[in-house]
Amino acid sequence: MHEFWSAAIIGVSLGAQYALLALGFTLIFGILGVINFAHGGFYALGGYVAYSAVSGLGLPYPLAVLAAVLVTAALGYVYELFVIERFVDDHLATMMLTLGLYLMISTGLLAVFGPQSPEFSFPVKGSYSIGALRIAKENLVVLAVCGCAIGAIYWLIYRTDLGRALRALADDRQVATTQGMRPRLLFPLAFGLATGLAGLTGALVTPILALSPSAGDPVLVTSFLTVILGGLGSIAGATIAALIVGFIEAYASVYLGGSAGALVLFIMVLVILLARPTGLFGRQIRGA
Amino acid sequence: MSGMARDLRVEGLAKRFGGLRVLEDVDFTLPPGAVLGVIGPNGAGKTTLINVITGRTPPTAGRILLGSQDVTGWPTHALSRLGVVRSFQQTNTFKTADVRENVARALRFSRGGLDGWTRLVPLLRDFGLADRLEEQSDKLPYGLQKMLGLVLAYAADPQVLLLDEPAAGLERSERSRVDDFVHHVSRQGCSVLIVEHDMDLVRRLCPEILVLDAGAVLARGAVAEVLARPDVIAAYVGADAGDAV
Repeated sequence: MHEFWSAAIIGVSLGAQYALLALGFTLIFGILGVINFAHGGFYALGGYVAYSAVSGLGLPYPLAVLAAVLVTAALGYVYELFVIERFVDDHLATMMLTLGLYLMISTGLLAVFGPQSPEFSFPVKGSYSIGALRIAKENLVVLAVCGCAIGAIYWLIYRTDLGRALRALADDRQVATTQGMRPRLLFPLAFGLATGLAGLTGALVTPILALSPSAGDPVLVTSFLTVILGGLGSIAGATIAALIVGFIEAYASVYLGGSAGALVLFIMVLVILLARPTGLFGRQIRGA
Repeated sequence: MSGMARDLRVEGLAKRFGGLRVLEDVDFTLPPGAVLGVIGPNGAGKTTLINVITGRTPPTAGRILLGSQDVTGWPTHALSRLGVVRSFQQTNTFKTADVRENVARALRFSRGGLDGWTRLVPLLRDFGLADRLEEQSDKLPYGLQKMLGLVLAYAADPQVLLLDEPAAGLERSERSRVDDFVHHVSRQGCSVLIVEHDMDLVRRLCPEILVLDAGAVLARGAVAEVLARPDVIAAYVGADAGDAV
């Protein structure tokens, strides 16, 4: 029975991580109409910035995580403002630009840090025991930070004027600009916010999993899968789909083994999409 | 309407897409409170004229002035905040938001301001939207979506309102609401430019009209006189013009 509860805790923790990644991914798609193929690159970059801040500058880990968020958010902001913005309505161009950025980030990391995974471990060790059930402290810390970040994103999107403007732009850009909203001001902010979330996740998770220049590859696939399952552009959909993906991965891994877990995940997503092609919370027609 | 009302002046406006001339040397002045109809056959450049004036696409030549201020090529959001606001042929609402949120967004980010609710209450009531504030806008009947679009345009506190086929898709019985709306906003000193194919509506609302043909101004003047001109009849509706206009 304790396996069941262990899987549940891992599932929630994984789901929270995926939710942070998927929220960023879906924000960019929903608001700008851009599929950000560089999302995994910002995740890996976040990990390396945190690693460099800890090992190179001697910063404490929480400050290193903050640095990772700021650097990835700033890079995303600047890239959107000066590059993406010029081609924002050209889907093929933005696809190439984000894919190109991902390649630049991953090859840049490879050139600077080399192919080997650096020694970068999570600062909180140990576990709590409840009977036969053991809960790793690092999982709880990651879960708590991700939970707070998700809460902050929801607050920003649904309780602030910035969020109201972003939702308006996602809904219908033409109408929003007619009402005085400024895409050129808001698009880079949305992009920077999303890439900062990817950087935060990278800084939190790579010390537990692994840090390498290609660490973003599976992240892009998982983010894509999650937002498609939740419905492209849907914030609630991305969050719920992330939890579903987290639970499926965790339970399948515990009861069926690692590779079978991935297979179960893809089959379940395929079945759900066959029943609901727009995803769990997707719209038939997207206005953005 | 806040701020001093100003003329909208369009001088020598031209728009080309590559070798295609869509607008050529268009001139007119729209004084505060005036209602001007713009008619012409499909492809005459009517919607492009609105797109250029509201900054959706820059002109190839010519100037657009609001009072003495040259606003040529200004972006849409900046013109909106100056009081130059448009509606679209299709419904121009935030489709996933309810009516209340639609209005709140329009007020919050435009020059209308959140205290503009009271200004909109009569319109919301007259259009039958006051009782449906919690309904998602794309679930409303089409006619109400169009009316909501007009409310949102008015929420931005326009000095100049450019309406692109406001009666398109409306039942005949619903079209009188467009009349009421235009009368309401023009009484506030807002000038209105209406692109419309419904000639009855144009006759009712527009003392003056401007006829575009192949991007150029074919005629401008009092509605009855212009619609009686043979060249306008020929350009606009062809041989059956006498019946149609």
